[in-house]
Amino acid sequence: MNKILDLLDPLLILSATFMGVALYLIFIWVPTETNQGAVQRILYFHVPVAWGSMLGIFVVSGSSFMYLLKKNEKWDRLAVASAEVGLIFGGIMLLSGMIWARPVWAVWWTGEAKLTTALILFFIYVAYLMFRAYFPPGAQRQRLAAIIGVIGAIDTPIIYFAANLWSQAHPPLITGPAADSDSALGSDLGTVLLISTLAFSFVFIFMVQARYKIRKSEDDVVELKRSSSASAMTGVN
Amino acid sequence: MSNVTNTASRSGALRFALTMILALVVSVSLTQISSAAHTPPVNGIVVGVETDDAGALIRFAVADSSGTIHTFTIFNGTEYGLENQAGDRWVSMQEEDPSEAARRLRDHRERFAPITVTSENGTAFSVVEREEGKLETNLGYLFAVFAITWALFFVYVLYLGRKQRVLQHEIARLEGLSGK
Repeated sequence: MNKILDLLDPLLILSATFMGVALYLIFIWVPTETNQGAVQRILYFHVPVAWGSMLGIFVVSGSSFMYLLKKNEKWDRLAVASAEVGLIFGGIMLLSGMIWARPVWAVWWTGEAKLTTALILFFIYVAYLMFRAYFPPGAQRQRLAAIIGVIGAIDTPIIYFAANLWSQAHPPLITGPAADSDSALGSDLGTVLLISTLAFSFVFIFMVQARYKIRKSEDDVVELKRSSSASAMTGVN
Repeated sequence: MSNVTNTASRSGALRFALTMILALVVSVSLTQISSAAHTPPVNGIVVGVETDDAGALIRFAVADSSGTIHTFTIFNGTEYGLENQAGDRWVSMQEEDPSEAARRLRDHRERFAPITVTSENGTAFSVVEREEGKLETNLGYLFAVFAITWALFFVYVLYLGRKQRVLQHEIARLEGLSGK
């Protein structure tokens, strides 16, 4: 079994390097935004983890679809690993958003479209993982979980476009194809956001990879138990 | 010799303490004088708008970043400089269009758009879009996000590491049983 925390893992080194650069840029290099002050720096955490949580549900959905198509266990493992890491990123996205909202909006939470759809994404992850935890193991569980995963991804474009579709309290889009050019970040702020997004993306991939290896080991244990009980039965007969 | 040194250090400490108390008293007094002469502007979001039967603005309430609610009354000379969502700025006075002022503030309340209010004794003199970085530094919030993010990441990686150890042990045991 490979060690998941191998300090010489290239992905871990890449994540740590990018994260170090991102933290330097966030806390030292980038100028303080004039309108919001220091709390604006939360954006450099919030947007990348939001991206990670949406990437997570896309991976869950894509690999679930591939599992339904190919019936190969590796796609199911990838879906579980991505769902677990996506849940963590989703949780951080909600918490960082709430902490940003408190000084800027003077409330922790409001029922506006983008926040509500992001909360729904979090619950989709919870539902997916709870289903896997409590449904009896077997091919049917994997099939139904895959269907939940595929359907869950529908929420992602709604979250992305929510700020533009409903134009409520959440700041307008600043990245991606639908970003409003007037509200897009300046070059310095945009560079920091890009580096930070890359750093969190590497962390995401590293965690998914680690969780995937553990899932593989869990399957190995099940397989070993099955083969040892089968050989015991043969011995008895 | 030792007694002399002790007495000298005690009197030095006493002088230092008295100086600190004096400095504190003076600074508090100066702050009070300063705040009496000029009420600092309030930055925050609109949380309440009150109008009369004709729809004219009478009072409004603003919550600042610490959550404190400030209520302001209006007079004919209250000045406005508020933007709509598209960024078009409306500049006017209370006596010119009191119902538009109420409408604009309600719009700000719905959008959570922050404003700056200058006032004296609870009467608003100007109500404008927050144009400058008036928010306190709020480093505590930034630290909270940073700490939560990394705490969750580390806890998850530790959880994975622990799970890995248990699985390694289990695989070794099962392989031993099957004689591999």
